[in-house]
Amino acid sequence: METIYKLIIGWFAGKPEWLPLAIAIAVPILFVVGVYPAIFAYTTLVERKALGRVQNRYGPNRVGRWGILQPLADGLKLLTKEDIVPRDADKFTHFLAPVMAVIPSVLLFAIVPIAPGLVPVNLNIGILFAFAISTASVLALFMGGWASRNKFSLLGAMRAVAQVVSYEVPMVLAAVAVVMAAGSLSTLDIVHAQKRGGLEIFGWFVFRPWGFVGFVLFAIGAMAESARTPFDIPEAESEIIAGYHTEYSGFKFALFQLGEYLAAIAMAGITVTMFLGGYLGPGCHLPYVGLLISAFWFFLKLGCMILLNIWIRGTWPRVRVDQLMGFAWKVLLPMALLNIVAVGIWHFMGNKALAWVVTATLLGVAFVILAKISASGNIEKRTYRYAN
Amino acid sequence: MDYAFWIISGITVLGALLAVTLRNLVHCVLSLILFFLGIAAHYFLLRADFVGAVQILIYIGAVAVLILFAIMLTRNVTGADGPREVIGVKWWAGSVIAALTAFLLSFAVSGDKLAGTISPGDKAYVGVADIGRGFVGDWVVPFEVMAVLLTAALIGAVVIALEEIRHRR
Amino acid sequence: MTIPLGHYLILAGVIFSIGLAGALTRKNAIIVLIAIELMFNAAILNLIAFWHYKQYAALTGQMFAVFAIGIAAAESAIGLALVIAIYRQSKTVDVDEIRSLKG
Repeated sequence: METIYKLIIGWFAGKPEWLPLAIAIAVPILFVVGVYPAIFAYTTLVERKALGRVQNRYGPNRVGRWGILQPLADGLKLLTKEDIVPRDADKFTHFLAPVMAVIPSVLLFAIVPIAPGLVPVNLNIGILFAFAISTASVLALFMGGWASRNKFSLLGAMRAVAQVVSYEVPMVLAAVAVVMAAGSLSTLDIVHAQKRGGLEIFGWFVFRPWGFVGFVLFAIGAMAESARTPFDIPEAESEIIAGYHTEYSGFKFALFQLGEYLAAIAMAGITVTMFLGGYLGPGCHLPYVGLLISAFWFFLKLGCMILLNIWIRGTWPRVRVDQLMGFAWKVLLPMALLNIVAVGIWHFMGNKALAWVVTATLLGVAFVILAKISASGNIEKRTYRYAN
Repeated sequence: MDYAFWIISGITVLGALLAVTLRNLVHCVLSLILFFLGIAAHYFLLRADFVGAVQILIYIGAVAVLILFAIMLTRNVTGADGPREVIGVKWWAGSVIAALTAFLLSFAVSGDKLAGTISPGDKAYVGVADIGRGFVGDWVVPFEVMAVLLTAALIGAVVIALEEIRHRR
Repeated sequence: MTIPLGHYLILAGVIFSIGLAGALTRKNAIIVLIAIELMFNAAILNLIAFWHYKQYAALTGQMFAVFAIGIAAAESAIGLALVIAIYRQSKTVDVDEIRSLKG
């Protein structure tokens, strides 16, 4: 961002003093609230299309060519719907919950870098800030569920709180491994630590044994944190209607969706930053056009992560509540702790090839043992009455 | 900067007052969260970024959520205290003691002796890396003691809360 | 920054007194715990304020604040577990009604 600030300050040299500062503050804010919601709108369309393909149907294709105006139509529909508040609801909290759902999700984007030196805010506590903010999102789910005075809503809220708090732990520990390797909490420094000459791609953390494990842990944690489908028991429609947003309608419901999707996109962005080399890619350090190329690589990787999310959503069945908790505490948490040990080994072993083998063996053996332990008994062979 | 101090202080004190005076327990916790946010903002204002982030992470992400869970497990879900008296019989004694404390504390710090401000030359920034090095350097013993304390608290909390189940078996 | 140190100390004192008043007057055990959290936070605010104005180049203030926050978290976890255990025993969280010493 500094280069751009200098450019702007140069442009407005003779103007009043506060102007460059005001612009320097306004540009990142406008970028975050302008670009990412647009990505959100088209994520919903892509998601419906992709889910349609998975389920052998077309998906939206009526509004505009290939359904390209569908997000606009959805938005208009939700805006014009009646806003129903249950009579017994806690009015103020009921009103506040959707707002609270959006704010942390938007704030998350503040630390996601999209090009060299181009990050809305370069905090030196970057990743820690992201985790601090993302914990606040659980409050929105709780407030919404509690204020609705509906048993299903309350059940959804309780499930949401338990789930988010549980998955926060392995997710943060997975990030600790990256922070240890990069030696900094700043997202720019973390991306910078993944830079390497020659074939740039092998500098990415995901191509180290601990990085791969961390990537998987973090992606699962992020999915659970934003209550995406394999982990969407807070809003499991076949069990508790719609969970915490059962009693929400119209634009408040849309705000909940916005918050959920923005959180998922932001988490995908942070995953890209921490494990997939952020904006790094061929040509990202060229003068002038490098910024554009970097942004292209970043958004390409972001799109891939979003598509991965959609793919998982379309193909995986929802987990049960007990499976969900057991998975977080009995598999993910020990793996995350071992991953930190693996990073330590990696850091202190001079011979990287040997370190690769040692850490890969350690993590692989640990995974096999954990998988054996947590497997719930033998799965009987199903016998079908009529199909065989 | 001055305006920021007064605004944030107002929010903080308002949150604190509401947290101990509202009737509905869940509303109390939500005001408490407002208070925690205000305190975190004060930390950011005082340039203690790390402590501010830790404040949000631990107090809002863990303590407030824990309190909400405890309310859900011990009360009817509305969180209302019902028609019964919320305030203890000796409320005036507690209020007088608190008012006296406030008066004494204000009196003690109102002297000019403590009104120090930092000199501009003294602005060496303490970053996260310094704090990290401190944890494994000079402060390693308190750090390990903290780790033991937290583990003990974790086990203790589980044992206390699970007591009922053990009896039932 | 033209705010003197005394302002922060008075703010912390006010918050501490609010917490004290809450802890002494309210009957609900959970509110008492909330009030104790208020007092904790007032103390930690003092630590940070003193660090900022007096010991800016040193680590001590921030370190103490982080340790205090950790201890407060442990305290609240134990406190809430106790509240839940007491509720299971006596079906109330009213501190005036929990008088029995028999388990």
